[in-house]
Amino acid sequence: MNPLIALMVVIPIACALILNLFHTKERTVKIIAIVVALALPIIPLVTSYGLHYFGAYSTLAQSPTLAQGLPGFITGSALNLFHMGIVYSFQSAQQLFIFIIGLIAFLAILTSLSEIKKASGVYAYLMFMGVAAVTAVLLSDDIFNLYVFFEIAAIAQVGIVIASKIKGNYETALKYMIIGSIASPLMLLGIALLLGVTGNVNITDIAYSLKNGLVNPQNPVLLMACGLIVFGWMYGSGLPPFHTIKSALYSKALPHGAAMLQAFSVFTLVAIGIIILRIFSYLSFSHVFIIAISLAAMIFSITMALMQTDIKRIIGYLAVGELGYIGLGLGIGTAFSITAGLFQAVNEAIVTAFLFIGFGTILYKTRESDIRKLGGMMVEMPKVALLVLLAGLAMAGVPPFNIFQSKLMLIQASLNAGIPELGIIMILLSIVTFMTFMKAFYAVYMRPKPRDLEIKNTNIPKATIFSMVVFLIVCIILGLFPQIATGLLQGLANSLI
Amino acid sequence: MSLYDIIINRIKKVQTQGEEEEPVTSIDASSTLAAEITLLSSLLVAAIMLRFFSNALMIIAVLLVIAIAVFAMPIMPKLKREQNDSLNGMVFYVILALGIVTVLFYWGSLNV
Amino acid sequence: MIIDTQLASFFTAGALIIIGIFAALFIDNLVKKVIGLAFIGDGANLFIIAMGYKLNGIVYIFMPGMTIDQFAPNASYPLPFALVLTSIVIGASTLAVMLGLIILLYKKYGSVKASKILGE
Repeated sequence: MNPLIALMVVIPIACALILNLFHTKERTVKIIAIVVALALPIIPLVTSYGLHYFGAYSTLAQSPTLAQGLPGFITGSALNLFHMGIVYSFQSAQQLFIFIIGLIAFLAILTSLSEIKKASGVYAYLMFMGVAAVTAVLLSDDIFNLYVFFEIAAIAQVGIVIASKIKGNYETALKYMIIGSIASPLMLLGIALLLGVTGNVNITDIAYSLKNGLVNPQNPVLLMACGLIVFGWMYGSGLPPFHTIKSALYSKALPHGAAMLQAFSVFTLVAIGIIILRIFSYLSFSHVFIIAISLAAMIFSITMALMQTDIKRIIGYLAVGELGYIGLGLGIGTAFSITAGLFQAVNEAIVTAFLFIGFGTILYKTRESDIRKLGGMMVEMPKVALLVLLAGLAMAGVPPFNIFQSKLMLIQASLNAGIPELGIIMILLSIVTFMTFMKAFYAVYMRPKPRDLEIKNTNIPKATIFSMVVFLIVCIILGLFPQIATGLLQGLANSLI
Repeated sequence: MSLYDIIINRIKKVQTQGEEEEPVTSIDASSTLAAEITLLSSLLVAAIMLRFFSNALMIIAVLLVIAIAVFAMPIMPKLKREQNDSLNGMVFYVILALGIVTVLFYWGSLNV
Repeated sequence: MIIDTQLASFFTAGALIIIGIFAALFIDNLVKKVIGLAFIGDGANLFIIAMGYKLNGIVYIFMPGMTIDQFAPNASYPLPFALVLTSIVIGASTLAVMLGLIILLYKKYGSVKASKILGE
């Protein structure tokens, strides 16, 4: 029983509610937001690994005081081993994921408080609720609790887009909610089918029931449940056919908001993907389908990114396309490939947040995001241009940055597993990603400034440059010492095969 | 209008809109070309992966991708127009994907 | 022909989901579309509740004077009601956000047709 595990979810929610209360008092909002956002990456580092049982008892087998009054047909059956309440599980992989999302949240909130003129308590509320929800999705061992926080994350994401005051944001938010209202109840239906067949909502217990023959694993209801949960996973992460609405969502949010939104999508993909592998990995079709949908994500999104003319849309489609690499790692199914996929998730969340905040400086200075109307920004902001170039090189997979290590591991994993075609496609699409980034970089920074482009005379806030430098340092550290991350991820990967 | 008519009209709309002319910059042209080549080569390599199921299926799929490449060459503008931001298009593809996922998981698991 | 209550509930839940998907695809008025989308959530909730039905089951409250041997095999399944309560609240809050957005968009565009507001 480790209360810090529950506090990882409770502290951001409490902070969000307090900030909403103090919405108009700017100074209070700024101080509370920065203090709690600073605590977000620190709490997972000081928490020890373990399980947290809401309800104070774990299983009947481990609670003899409860079990002594119960008849034999309960204590002699598998019911003795089932968990009695909601369980949160915090191991080394969750520590890494929650640290990274806490770090991205801290830097995004810092950037937003310095770039927006009037600090908004409601906007900070939405960011903190989103972080709390995704933290709970990563920690939860109870599939219905995961669904509740998944929905809270969806509403928080829509709120971040509504609060951005960009033209067309209300329409995009409504479209996202309509599509979500189709996909989320179907995921709930899948969870209900799983509950109906196994009698449990605890994932450890469901996996136990399926492995030990308490239910028939080839039951057609279970196959339907797998299909529906995979459909909900596709909605939460932004895999096709949801890639257009996800990239539209990223483009209609402010850049620091978009950095948070893409981190939410990446970690939702990781969390629900891990659960699908834990429960349904005996179905080899699930692996085939995950590989197929990840390939579709990579191919369709990265080719669409090449055709866009709005910077935020380009980075949005690249962000959605890079999710395919993570899916490929999870789908290939060996321990090495799952470690590589999860490492790619961590790296990609950092680099995409870096790119969004970097290209967000363009919006801050010119209020223009169409690459046909931009140009000549290298003269205005040479240091920021250098940082953005390094971010783009990182995303393409250039050493010594982090994505080079994870993509190399993914390609090696696909070769080891005997599927070299995946390696070829990954290399090809990395080249195309780099080409897309260079097209955007050239159009924005390197070609001459168009005559009618107005550039504001203010400096980029120091907090933005600080955020970008921190992201760069994390990229370099993970690129030079990948063992820091892969060592933490290996335990989870070994338990999934 | 019956459901069949709606589907036929939609396919006709996608096929005939390819002949519109609009001013194209050189960046647009090179991007579209690069996207086209990327799409076709990735689809070709992905079709080769079908060798795990059956060799005959792989040969048919590769020939199909080559046939699409030769006969319907400018695929990217049509794909870009299909992946637009209109709600009806997105909901149609979502329901289509739901149908494909359900059918594949229910019957596909029996054969793999 | 008399159908068992649970089976009839499952069929109703399926019908609600199909009506909801139909509304999402074909109805043009945004308010009606959103009402139809709420049906999908209602169908899923009805499905979960119907799973907890037990023929001649007793309410799952352990009254004083009952024994475990009398309670455990006869009580109907208590977990679904807890899940559905939470799910109904989530559905209601999502519906509220969607309706609020429709009001804002109506003020901007002057109509509630989905093809005009949310089309291309």
